[in-house]
Amino acid sequence: MAEELVRMEHISKFYGRVQALRDITVGVRYQEIVGLLGDNGAGKSTLIKILSGVVQATSGEIFLHGRKADIRTTADAIASGIETIYQDSALVPQLSITRNLFLGREPIKGFRLFNRMDHALMDQAARALLLKVGVTKDIPPATAISALSGGERQAVAIARALYFDSELIILDEPTNNLGVAETRSVLNFVRNARDSGHSCILIAHNIHHVFQVVDRIVVLRHGTVVADDIDPRKTSIEEVERIITGPDAAEP
Amino acid sequence: MLKLVKAEAGSPPPVRRPSRLLRLLSRPEVGPLILLVLELSAFGTIRPLYLSPFNISNVLDFTVELGLIALPTTLLMIAGEFDLSVGSVFGFSAVLMWTLFNSGATSLGLAFVITLAVAGGIGLINGWFVTQVRVSSFLVTLGTLLVVRGAALYLTQGFPQRTWSAAGSRLAAVLAGEIHIGRFHVYMSLFWFIVAAIVLHYVLAETKAGNWIQAAGGNPGSALARGVNVGRTKMVLFVLTAMLAAASGITSSIRTSAANPNSGTGYELEVIAMVVIGGTALTGGRGTIIGTVLGIFILRSMHSGLVMIGVPGLAYEIFVGAIILAMVALQAWLDRRQQAEG
Ligand SMILES: Nc1ncnc2c1ncn2[C@@H]1O[C@H](COP(=O)(O)OP(=O)(O)O)[C@@H](O)[C@H]1O
Ligand SMILES: [Mg+2]
Repeated sequence: MAEELVRMEHISKFYGRVQALRDITVGVRYQEIVGLLGDNGAGKSTLIKILSGVVQATSGEIFLHGRKADIRTTADAIASGIETIYQDSALVPQLSITRNLFLGREPIKGFRLFNRMDHALMDQAARALLLKVGVTKDIPPATAISALSGGERQAVAIARALYFDSELIILDEPTNNLGVAETRSVLNFVRNARDSGHSCILIAHNIHHVFQVVDRIVVLRHGTVVADDIDPRKTSIEEVERIITGPDAAEP
Repeated sequence: MLKLVKAEAGSPPPVRRPSRLLRLLSRPEVGPLILLVLELSAFGTIRPLYLSPFNISNVLDFTVELGLIALPTTLLMIAGEFDLSVGSVFGFSAVLMWTLFNSGATSLGLAFVITLAVAGGIGLINGWFVTQVRVSSFLVTLGTLLVVRGAALYLTQGFPQRTWSAAGSRLAAVLAGEIHIGRFHVYMSLFWFIVAAIVLHYVLAETKAGNWIQAAGGNPGSALARGVNVGRTKMVLFVLTAMLAAASGITSSIRTSAANPNSGTGYELEVIAMVVIGGTALTGGRGTIIGTVLGIFILRSMHSGLVMIGVPGLAYEIFVGAIILAMVALQAWLDRRQQAEG
């Protein structure tokens, strides 16, 4: 068995003439939270979009459990156990919590041709999930997403990843626009996810948030990996900030 | 108002929920329902004959034919797309079927099947341009509106088609046969309308397909990311809408014994008005079949009522426009209300 859940090797990505990623090689181990840091435009979103099937790498390979994986669409990624949680965009605001949780994987009850969703099962699972990720049962699962706060939306998105037992949960800036208490909840969800056996990639603007939860930090700069094994317990925030911005003048 | 529990220890903040009444009132169908009741009682008071079986039967005839187009259009609009070509398909289908039949090339049944297939093809073309070429459905179906109307005019050289007396035809009886229920005389199209409404309501509310339709219009990006086949969902709805518009046009031609290449002109806007008045969001993602059924009856019974109280038929559009403005304003107000509560 491979020691890493996911490994990306020699990944490059061009958007037309713009090179967003240059020969990136990076991995995520089992039950590990990796913090992906880098300045604006460093290529973080592009890298995780390749993993989640939103865009395709120009060259390079992806391995899951040590086996080569072919991720061409978001559906491929989800089928391979990779869930991506973007701020807000992952949910349909007009639909209920329950309908969002099961979107694309609705359980069918009875005669298949009738295509009827198993509402009872869905509602029951939704209730249990909301409790599991720490949302009070005061929120009926029939509530529309548009009536939830930002933190609650993240909670629903994470609940979905947990329910479908995604092996890798990717969070791109999940704490943007959240209050203090809600940020803490989201970071807690991430920790819970790791403790129950999932691996995570966390991208966050706020370095302090990343430092609170991750096991390892990877830093991108101008589309290349400049550090891939920073231990947040042994490194200062200032030092990581220096790695992110890079040397001002010379130096490699 | 809704809170995460993980937050702080201590007593949870009191949870304030919208009152039961307000929640009931903010159901999207309530506004249209009230409007319909008001309208029926107002016209019924001014002209008691308005509520007579005779008049109700008369109103129903055409109402359900337009309604048969408005029902699938609801699903299409919830999925975030429009179809402006339905009026042209309505007129074109009737003349195509009768031209085929009159030419002696096919039986009436075969002409019907071919016409439905052609309409399905028009739907496919609409759907293909929208989902594959990625042109806005407004522009695509404006194009097919013109092409299909032009085809109807060219095919007939602008003349109405001979419609053969429907008596004795099984197909005509099934589509548009007359039924007497007490003092009401209705057509089979009422039955088909009810069937379509029940089936499409079921699809929207109960099935996986319904979930996909709402997601496709609500947030196509995230629907795609969940593995929802947004393109195919829309494609199916374009085909369904075109085929029901064709069925409606054919039914209407049998009932009125007329197949005019110009018929159906302007129906697209009336149908969209019905759907919007019924509470479906123009931006997609939200709407109900029940709302649309109410919207259908609001507009058609208003038309009949205005005629009966002596308002010139030409003034009808003034009222349609005013009601659309009122309903859209009501929806916007309810939305803001809900946001503030949420
Ligand atoms: N869709 C796109 N088309 C063209 N260039 C893009 C696109 N997305 C990102 N880029 C470019 O790729 C680089 C990396 O962007 P991104 O991955 O979004 O960085 P980050 O998430 O780290 O801020 C930037 O130079 C950005 O301008
Ligand atoms: Mg980014």
